[in-house]
Amino acid sequence: MASDKQASRFVFPRWANYLLPLLVLGAVGGGLYVPVVIGFGLSADTLWRGYAPAQPVPFSHALHAGELGMDCRYCHTTVEDASFAAIPDTQLCISCHSPEEGVAGIAKDSPLLRPVHESYETGRPVEWVKVHDQADFVYFDHSAHVNRGVSCVECHGRVDRMERVYMAENMSMAWCLDCHQQPEMHLRPLEEVTNLAWDPRDHLEAQGVETEGMTRDQAQRQIGLELKEKYNIHSRTYMMSCSTCHR
Amino acid sequence: MSSLTPNITGRAYWRSLEEYADSPQFRELLGYPGGGAIDEATLSVSRRRFLQLMGASMALAGLTLGGCRRWEETKLAPFAQRPEGRVPGQPEYFASMTERGGSALGVLVESFDGRPIKIEGNPKHPYSQGATDAWAQAETLNLYDPDRSRFPVRGRGEARQRTTWEELVAFMQQRVGERQGADSSRLAVLTRRSDSPTRARLAARFRERHPEAGWYEWEPINRDNELAGTRQAFGRAMRPAYRLDRAAVIACFDADPLLMHPAAVRHARDWAATRKQADSEMQMSRLYAAEPTFSVTGSVADERLAVRVSEVPALVRAVAARLGVIDGDGAGGGGDLNGSTQWVEKLVDDLHRHEGEAVLVVGESQPAEVHALAWAINAHLGALGATVELFEEPGDPQQGQGEQIAELARRIEAGEIDTLLVLGGNPAYDAPAELDFEAKLNQVDEVIHLGLYADETARTATWHAPAAHELEAWGDGRAWDGTVGVQQPLILPLFDGKSPIEMLALALGDEAGEAQGYELVRATFREDVLAGDDFERAWRRVLHRGLVPDSAFEPVNDASADAPANVPERLDAADGEFEVVIRPDTSMLDGRWANNGWLQELPGPITKLTWDNVARISVTDARRLGLSQGDVVRVSVGGREVELPVFPTPGQVAGSVVVSLGYGRRAAGRIGDGVGVDTYRLRTVEAPHVAAASVEPAGRRERLATTQNHHLIDPTGEWGVTKRTGERGGSGYIIKEMSLASYRQDPHQARRTANGDLPLQLYDPPYPAGTPAFEAKRPGGPVAFNEPHAWGMSVDMNACIGCNACVVACQAENNVPVVGKEEVLVSRELHWLRIDRYFKGDPEAETDVVHQPMMCVHCENAPCEQVCPVNAAIHDTEGLNLQVYNRCVGTRYCSNNCPYKVRRFNYFDYHAKDPRGHWRPWLNIPDTQTRAEVDRIKAMANNPDVTVRMRGVMEKCTYCMQRLSRAKVAAKNDWSRGQRDEPLVADGEVVTACQQACPTQAITFGDLNKADAVVSQEHENPRAYQVLNDDLNTRPRTRHLAKLRNPAV
Repeated sequence: MASDKQASRFVFPRWANYLLPLLVLGAVGGGLYVPVVIGFGLSADTLWRGYAPAQPVPFSHALHAGELGMDCRYCHTTVEDASFAAIPDTQLCISCHSPEEGVAGIAKDSPLLRPVHESYETGRPVEWVKVHDQADFVYFDHSAHVNRGVSCVECHGRVDRMERVYMAENMSMAWCLDCHQQPEMHLRPLEEVTNLAWDPRDHLEAQGVETEGMTRDQAQRQIGLELKEKYNIHSRTYMMSCSTCHR
Repeated sequence: MSSLTPNITGRAYWRSLEEYADSPQFRELLGYPGGGAIDEATLSVSRRRFLQLMGASMALAGLTLGGCRRWEETKLAPFAQRPEGRVPGQPEYFASMTERGGSALGVLVESFDGRPIKIEGNPKHPYSQGATDAWAQAETLNLYDPDRSRFPVRGRGEARQRTTWEELVAFMQQRVGERQGADSSRLAVLTRRSDSPTRARLAARFRERHPEAGWYEWEPINRDNELAGTRQAFGRAMRPAYRLDRAAVIACFDADPLLMHPAAVRHARDWAATRKQADSEMQMSRLYAAEPTFSVTGSVADERLAVRVSEVPALVRAVAARLGVIDGDGAGGGGDLNGSTQWVEKLVDDLHRHEGEAVLVVGESQPAEVHALAWAINAHLGALGATVELFEEPGDPQQGQGEQIAELARRIEAGEIDTLLVLGGNPAYDAPAELDFEAKLNQVDEVIHLGLYADETARTATWHAPAAHELEAWGDGRAWDGTVGVQQPLILPLFDGKSPIEMLALALGDEAGEAQGYELVRATFREDVLAGDDFERAWRRVLHRGLVPDSAFEPVNDASADAPANVPERLDAADGEFEVVIRPDTSMLDGRWANNGWLQELPGPITKLTWDNVARISVTDARRLGLSQGDVVRVSVGGREVELPVFPTPGQVAGSVVVSLGYGRRAAGRIGDGVGVDTYRLRTVEAPHVAAASVEPAGRRERLATTQNHHLIDPTGEWGVTKRTGERGGSGYIIKEMSLASYRQDPHQARRTANGDLPLQLYDPPYPAGTPAFEAKRPGGPVAFNEPHAWGMSVDMNACIGCNACVVACQAENNVPVVGKEEVLVSRELHWLRIDRYFKGDPEAETDVVHQPMMCVHCENAPCEQVCPVNAAIHDTEGLNLQVYNRCVGTRYCSNNCPYKVRRFNYFDYHAKDPRGHWRPWLNIPDTQTRAEVDRIKAMANNPDVTVRMRGVMEKCTYCMQRLSRAKVAAKNDWSRGQRDEPLVADGEVVTACQQACPTQAITFGDLNKADAVVSQEHENPRAYQVLNDDLNTRPRTRHLAKLRNPAV
């Protein structure tokens, strides 16, 4: 009959009952899935660590800082004096890689060096891609750290082993505070700041301290506590004040 | 003000007439926590609308989250060849100057990665000594104004079209440069006033080439009367350099030497020095002021007389007669004006006792004869060479500027000019009204205009060329005392502009290479200023210092002045029902800064008015005419009339209407267009300052965005407000002041409270649980939050003149946005530092003013911290009360609980927003312009050391902690290299922005742990007190120093 037929249009078909468990399963699964995706997918580790953008020139830190043993400060000249560890100007690259005729430039015909040579000729900068990028409300100061015995390696990892620079740490605030809470675990003598391979045990041994059976952390703590006094590293409350890093 | 007499609150200090009278309007304001009537448009986002917006923003969030790995890729562009000494991310300072009205101010410009971001005073400048004013501070915003003219334009009106510099220069050289002989009589140049040696050199070249051509100078705020007066008195035009630091008695006759004067910053510094003697010698200068309404100088006067401008000559005559400078008894025909007999008596008595230590200053509103008479009095008092030094006015202009522009107008009318070169300035807007200069310009065949903006004059010009800003171009100038300064560019011209000297050189036919500002200025210095020295060496030294040492004018101290015979008793303007007094504005000056949001939003020193100009009338007149604040009146002067809202002002004399210039611009730019009313329409060549006028109500109202009633406390807390501001006879806890005599008897009275130490205090001592105990690092030093420094500030209310330099300096340093008039109306202005102006006394008789700079006082026991639910308001170990923007969720509890009302909330993303008000591009939300729509140029003015705040967060004074951080890191680095004994910041190494700008040095800042720090000594000063601390135990780190007055007994 016409009216029944019409009414049945508003009734779900029988097979639709089987959808219910699927819906429940979906809701429960989604309830788990979404937080997990957000929790892990948006964590600092996922977003940051390992970020290794391609650079206009495939500059190898492993070659320059590692194999050739160049000091970090040879290129990043302002690291001890300024908040910003300057990217070297083209002129500095050219001091070894000059394209000029009659000058002994290393790899002067390499196409990989083309952007550098172009920059040298035109005066326009080589546009490097920033790897370690702090949020705008963080005012990190390189000089404040390297002058207090915090090594490059603490934040940048073993750059001397990197073909292409990547983020070795997640650079989240929690990670910063790990160190600000326990600076002694990250301090070394000033002259070792750019020695990325430095080991606290070797240092103690050189001073004639027996390090047999000592873990790296134990040795570090021993050195760190001493240096913390020596370098006038502040109280934990000072180091943890918001104004230390934010303005 | 019909409700003025009843219901007087009885508070000793009151912020506005509404509060004084406890008017119904004031009651209404009390109902809102923000203290402003909130308009419907701002409140009315309906629930439905809200859900729509929420939905839209959620959808947007979903879209962006998916593709989010990290934020946008950033490029690093190192130099191809980094200049020597340039360290990326480290600010550099360059000595330069900024010129205004022909007088240069020595400045240091902070450049950050090649971008000038902040102007400070040059502390080594022999004349200005490191002081600046609000206008100099605001220059950086002008530099990065997206509305600046960007390319040359050809044609008038509809025919305007873009052209190139090449065409313009070719035309100019043909039209100007190549003219010969008598033909050049049809040529004229109109410029601003300038003492630039290079311009003088080029002007001489121009006159040589075109001896027949006209050269006119026009500066709407000029010194015609002063120069004419000195010519009468001394026989030649003289420039007075007041030495207020040597003066024990200063008498101002409608003069405002502390703000409205080319040398104001020096005057203010010198005057403040005489006030500070109260601490060392228990001595202080006495400032007399006779004026129609409060000027900045009058607001800090010890003996003030409210008198009509047109009656001021009678006062000067009376003083002269009493001193025997002119004949007569000095009573004059006018009789006693508002208590003038007594005022004159006191003044004459003081002058007698302080011969050689007194000086009279007469304002520009007075005619030449009155100036001349004052010079005769000054000479009689032995002031010449002592409290005032005279220089010969450079160039000795034989004609006043009013006469010059009138002559130019006459010659244009007569068809004698076919080519006019306008080098800067805006005569179409600011020339005297009866000349109708805009029409005159349209009569000239070819007008070539150089200006920062395509302004009113540019619209009448056949050619317009963009000017280079002072921070973009080479130049030079002379300070008020003649010290030669060099203006060096900090950045290449953003919009391809040229400076006036470059333009002049091009017009003279110089090749583009020669006409470079650098070459022009160097040529002047080589041939003239530094002639004879080893030039390159001397030049480098001059560049480093920004000035040529010992280049000041020679004072002429043998001048003698004769009393003029024909000094009028009163001015003609006295004959009208009202006199209208036309003044430069305390924010806009002559209108050139109309497109500068910082200055537009700067609360006036007395009215606290933003974004408008008003007719200031006396309370008596307001009552008589039935007017209250915002009622529009029609002010007519000789057939010309303007309509503008009234502002009844306490302490103003009846019968005087005071209007200010600089508003009502028609082609200023997006910020300045149509703000306020153009009062130049009342100004004539004959009567540029004061004229007889009639005033009648126009029958409508306008809303005025004055901040004087902002941050009121609701009726529940009213008893507390009354207690704190003090009942009549009592003094309260906010303002403390005393007379010098009573200070001498009992210096420590400011420390004592009105009702003794309160046994019950609101907050406990500042030792939150878990905080390590602190010890004072010196006896009497702070016992909390002192590790390793203990920052503190002092503000000397005895030195503060309310000039607003600090307010703009803070805004420039700390990326404080402009919010616009609509937002100011609802108390949303964002100034971290405000200057509270309190009135005291009877608004219709004697009124006193107190200026109290108020910013976050960094309470050790901070009420804001106690109520923040997310710990965004929190202390650090050095006593800074921090605001952590990223924690802030915008509850505004802290602002509510702050007794000083210094916390500011970002209701919108004001940085992205066009600040004029309701500019609502997307979904009708005010601040949703996308980043691409906001001109990137605007962002260049921001200080990269300070976080740019987003909507929804609270902000406030940070004690300039970016400067603290820099100083601390530098100190520790030096220490670790063995270059310093302790890893601490030494006294004087940190100067806050407000402190740096302050012309009176009212603000000091430093480490309270050090006994010898200036700020520690200021805190020990017996006048130092902590605002509201008696009541609340908030323990502010900023102490205010009580105001002293030195009335004659």
